[in-house]
Amino acid sequence: MTQDLSFWTLQTLNALQLSMLLFLLSIGLTVIFGLMHFVNLAHGALYALGAYIAASIAGVAGFWVAIIAAPVGVALVGVVLYGGLIQRMRKSGPMAQVLVTFGLIFALLDLTRIFWGDLALAMSMPQVLSGQVDLLGVSYPAYRLFIILLGGAIFVALALVLSRTQIGAMIRAGVDNDAMAACLGINVERLFFVVFCVGCALAGLAGAVAAPLLSVTPGMGLQILIPTLIVIVIGGLGSLKGAVAGSLIYGFVQTFGAVLAPQLASVLIYALLAAVLVIKPVGLFPAKG
Amino acid sequence: MFRHTPLRYAVLAILAVAALVQTFTAGYFGLEILIEILILCLLVLALDLVAGFGGMVSLCHGALMGVGAYAFVALGTLAGLDPWLAALAAVAITAAMAWVIGAICARSHGIYFIMATLAFGQMAYSYVFESPLFGGDDGMGGIDRFDLGAIGLDLNDSRTFALFCLAVVVLAYLFSVAILRSGLGRSLSGVMHNEKRMKALGLNTWRIKADVFGLSGIIAGVAGVLAAQHIMFISPGLLNWTVSGEALVVVILGGLGTLVGPLVGAAAFVVMKHELGEITTYWHLVVGVILIAVVMSRANGIFGWVEARWGAAIERRLTDATRSPAKKEVSTDA
Amino acid sequence: MKRATLATLAAATTLALPAAADTVDIGVLLPFSGVYAALGNEIEAGFALGLETYGNDLDVEIILHREDTEVTPATGLARTRKLILQSDVDAIVGVVSSGVLGAVRDMVDGAGVPLIVANAGNDAATGVDCSPWITRVSFSNSQVNRPMGRWMAEQGIETVYTLAPDYAAGRQMIEGFTGAFVEAGGTIVGSDYTPFQQTQDFGPYIAQAQASGADALFVFYAGGEAISFVNQYASFGAGDDLPLYGSGFLTSQLYVDAQGQSAEGVITALHYVPTIDNAENAAFVAAFRDATGRVPSEYAVQGYDAARALIEALETGARDRETLGAALRQVSFDGPRGALSIDPATNNVVQPIYVYETVQGANGMTQTVLAQLPAEADPVNGCQMPSLPTN
Repeated sequence: MTQDLSFWTLQTLNALQLSMLLFLLSIGLTVIFGLMHFVNLAHGALYALGAYIAASIAGVAGFWVAIIAAPVGVALVGVVLYGGLIQRMRKSGPMAQVLVTFGLIFALLDLTRIFWGDLALAMSMPQVLSGQVDLLGVSYPAYRLFIILLGGAIFVALALVLSRTQIGAMIRAGVDNDAMAACLGINVERLFFVVFCVGCALAGLAGAVAAPLLSVTPGMGLQILIPTLIVIVIGGLGSLKGAVAGSLIYGFVQTFGAVLAPQLASVLIYALLAAVLVIKPVGLFPAKG
Repeated sequence: MFRHTPLRYAVLAILAVAALVQTFTAGYFGLEILIEILILCLLVLALDLVAGFGGMVSLCHGALMGVGAYAFVALGTLAGLDPWLAALAAVAITAAMAWVIGAICARSHGIYFIMATLAFGQMAYSYVFESPLFGGDDGMGGIDRFDLGAIGLDLNDSRTFALFCLAVVVLAYLFSVAILRSGLGRSLSGVMHNEKRMKALGLNTWRIKADVFGLSGIIAGVAGVLAAQHIMFISPGLLNWTVSGEALVVVILGGLGTLVGPLVGAAAFVVMKHELGEITTYWHLVVGVILIAVVMSRANGIFGWVEARWGAAIERRLTDATRSPAKKEVSTDA
Repeated sequence: MKRATLATLAAATTLALPAAADTVDIGVLLPFSGVYAALGNEIEAGFALGLETYGNDLDVEIILHREDTEVTPATGLARTRKLILQSDVDAIVGVVSSGVLGAVRDMVDGAGVPLIVANAGNDAATGVDCSPWITRVSFSNSQVNRPMGRWMAEQGIETVYTLAPDYAAGRQMIEGFTGAFVEAGGTIVGSDYTPFQQTQDFGPYIAQAQASGADALFVFYAGGEAISFVNQYASFGAGDDLPLYGSGFLTSQLYVDAQGQSAEGVITALHYVPTIDNAENAAFVAAFRDATGRVPSEYAVQGYDAARALIEALETGARDRETLGAALRQVSFDGPRGALSIDPATNNVVQPIYVYETVQGANGMTQTVLAQLPAEADPVNGCQMPSLPTN
């Protein structure tokens, strides 16, 4: 490897950027799982929905409105899903949940095709973020830095909410033992509802943020589902720490794998997943032992 | 433990008769659909064995089927082995691979198990996709069907091939039942219901799971060999996780852990897919809504629902009457 | 909305078919769902327009049988069998993915059914696996990129870094380019293949290419990956020291709106761009725009020319599989792409290649043709073309 330091700085930033994008997606999924023991495979479809909403709105009202509207829109869809499906599925076994969310994937995929067509959509980034920024001796796309900072900010905010606020304590109690939490007078059902909506909103946000970077296509939700699941399983289900650790591992392995061992790039992350599960069958930082 | 209720016999008989009627009355494309259903039946039998009776929900069974198909073609077409020998070796390779995956994943549970199997499946998929030796994403063709000329059968005739597949499905079903009724199968259901207790009893639960996974790999491998012969062309798409996901949907749609249900599910799913595909390219939407509706009905799939509703009544009525009709149906099935 | 009209056309039943002399049955074999659905729809729209434009004076009724291949070779083959054995078609038009083409090749060859390939560019299909029954009116992977290798060398570009997705088409596109570029005196300083449809972030690869110090970057991407790649490349601001060149699918008319200004200044080569200056093309672009409301892409013109090839074959009086198969190989005409003919040695189309730059136009992005490179037939690549059985 003859590349100089700035090359590695650049790749580290790339890795961070990918990690943060995955973090936004996986945190919602992992907390929903930890708290509600609910496997929401349709999480990726919600991410795609967020991208589509953002791309549609950005054309009319600009990037910043779109990036606010997309999470709100997806959260509203989340409310409908929760009332219509999720709430009733809470007591069913995991198999039933897998099937229902599989059905949702199918349905949402075709609904986006019906509403938005098969052609890829575009969303341009705002003028302020479209250039490059000089940082640590490299010139790096401002928009990618924005994703890194946004992911970091959301992580800090969630960490504070979970550790310092009352609702955070309630969520932690719920993850730990929901029956006991209910006995202590916590309205667990309402807590679930709030967490589910926040998780949906974050998926929508991830979609909106990813839209200018990637292409907005009907298949994007299915494409991101597997990486997201890998992240939360490597990290361990239900924990913020796990989601961050999993995202970072995924981002760095993908990025540096692509640079250092391009022939293995597509297999590497699966091999790592298998290795983690052999050594620690419940991931690195599960919410409960 | 797995038990044949009169209702199960009845449904098996209906399925067998329907398959036979279809074989002798359907046109060309009807036979194609039938064969597709029969091969899917093999895959879902293999999956139900581990998921429904061992709690091991696998997302690598599609990949296992693909391994069977690729091994068969690599040994038969590329290396020039006799087709029967190649098929045998391919099934053995698939079973060995399944055993190893099962052994490695056996310590994980729930979603971790699902993801671990997914990882192995996707590794196989990526390998085949990028391997020039196996044709990469272009796949491989030039595959011949078995030569049964010695006993006067020509498998290149769709009708004969459908019958051949039907016979294989019947054998695979009997094989599955035999596994479940064996000591291994009984231990497996013990492990599924309470792994800790089985361990405390001194059983090597890890070994039990791996063994069943390997046996299930045999059926998946057979499915792969038949799939390769049916299409006469293989491509990496066969190994993709979506194939496993679809198989899982079929198993749950039909009725997890009933062995009969997944067969019903396979028929329903393939027919639905083709019928809807004729009408609209948005057939996924309709399938999705149907899936949701089935699950929301809180039944264990289509067959589970039938069983819960009428199973007991039928059994009562039949035990009152003579048991001969049920007996008769067994023989049609076997 | 064009699809609705074709769908009603296609709804004609397959039942009443003791092949009367005045009908031919044509299978339309395209992906209408899955990741290639957009391409399938575009080709179908072009095909419908072609039938409308050229088919009015025919004394024969064309009955279409529409089948969805999805993306899977297995489904594609099953549907092809259905078309041949059950619908009893006289010819088939379509096939987007090379995987599906590979899967159906033996079937159409064995059954002796003419197949007009309207996309799939796999070199082998008109090379070592060629068949007298398979006529390709679209392109071959190396055909599109070979002239570009020479052209770039002529422009004084000495070193190039290449990127493409890791699958057969990606490798063929790059190999086609590389062979010609190196022969013309250029050097490839590095190349990467990215995991196909699994790569979200091209940043690592772009940084790698930048660090190589090459004069230019040559890539092949298509579909969603093309949009992601061009957007991400632009955001790195790499254009100044590492200008982007590529196979023209990268900045296809189909995605250039989604790429927007990111695509500005990208120079690529393709067999068709909507700004080619000839009367045929002007008429085609206007008619396509009337029908669909958008500017046609290379996929649309492939469908359009497939329809025209079919109709020209029918006009010779060909009505069944054998006569159609023979007539299709003789087809040649001046179309929107310029002068087209079929190379008798391989059954692949012979056509000019256009080098174009994507530029900002009055209504969004458009293309400026920089050079028209002369048509040349592909090397036979091991194709031994048997003559069609005649009786």
